[in-house]
Amino acid sequence: MIFIAILIGCVVGIIAGMYAPIIPYSLSGYLAISIVAALDSVFGGITSVLKGNFDLKIFVSGFFGNAILSILLTYLGEKLNVDIYLAAIVVFVGRMFTNLAIIRRYYIDKWTNKKQKIEEENK
Amino acid sequence: MKKKQIAITIGIMCFILTLGIVLQINTIKDAVKTVGQKTSDNGLRDEVLKWKEKYDNTYEQLEKAEKELEKERQASTSTDESSLEKQERLKELNTYLGLTDVTGPGIIITVQDNTSSKFVSAKDLVHDGDLRALVNEIKNVGAEAISINNQRIVQSTTISCAGAIVQINDESIGSPFIIKVIGDQTNLYYNLTRPGSYINRLEEDGIIVDVKKSDDITIEKYNGVLTNKYIENVG
Repeated sequence: MIFIAILIGCVVGIIAGMYAPIIPYSLSGYLAISIVAALDSVFGGITSVLKGNFDLKIFVSGFFGNAILSILLTYLGEKLNVDIYLAAIVVFVGRMFTNLAIIRRYYIDKWTNKKQKIEEENK
Repeated sequence: MKKKQIAITIGIMCFILTLGIVLQINTIKDAVKTVGQKTSDNGLRDEVLKWKEKYDNTYEQLEKAEKELEKERQASTSTDESSLEKQERLKELNTYLGLTDVTGPGIIITVQDNTSSKFVSAKDLVHDGDLRALVNEIKNVGAEAISINNQRIVQSTTISCAGAIVQINDESIGSPFIIKVIGDQTNLYYNLTRPGSYINRLEEDGIIVDVKKSDDITIEKYNGVLTNKYIENVG
């Protein structure tokens, strides 16, 4: 069910994006930073599912909250002539890598456990 | 019910995320790949590029239309003698105005900033005033057509300073300046390189100047638009 929803969402999103008019180039910086923020919360969500403490409310609020907050911070940085979006990118991408590492470890552990089990059964 | 809700929420989020990513990819693909520190810089650059593209397209259309017009004119005047004469006159006037590509013997002057020394002073650089004085002198010697870096000098041409570059016909050009002149070769050459000439003075200031004769120079036409808003013919 959830996987079907994800698939449908992605396909519809791609099609809609292809036919939507392009946004002004000056706004693409904001969109980029919000995409990074959203991706960060997606990986965070996957990690929490693996850990077993996934909460939809936290996930949704993080998804939209981080995106909006990063846009606001980028805007503020532009007004103050400080590249705040660089800090946001560092934080988000750093967290993304941490989460990816957790996901990777989880699946590698699962895989090695499975292998060991098969070997034990064969003995 | 709860699972359904979760599925719908996650589906919507996936939709938003992919929509954003595809939008961004499309936007970046459309823009020329220039890297700027600030988003506003990129926006300005993008705007300029877009306008330039629009201008180029329109100019191409104009050229096509002009060619068609020329053809039509020729077809309609080929039988009539008086209109043939007018046609010739029109061509001649366009040549005077600098609206046609012209070719002929003349000289090519290359004026270049002198950046060989460690400390470059204002004296070592070619300024807008230098170009103005040079053009004036070239005209004085009897040139029939002049262009600087393929910018044709016509009656409305201005040469102005714009920071590190020079603007001619509102187009930015920089050193080296290649000035093509069509006219009496020997006359041009000896008058422009005589002691006390402006070129001579520039050379004394340390600016790199090269003057050479050429029997076959092609000078492109003025690619702007000549317009009059206020003047009217009397009578």
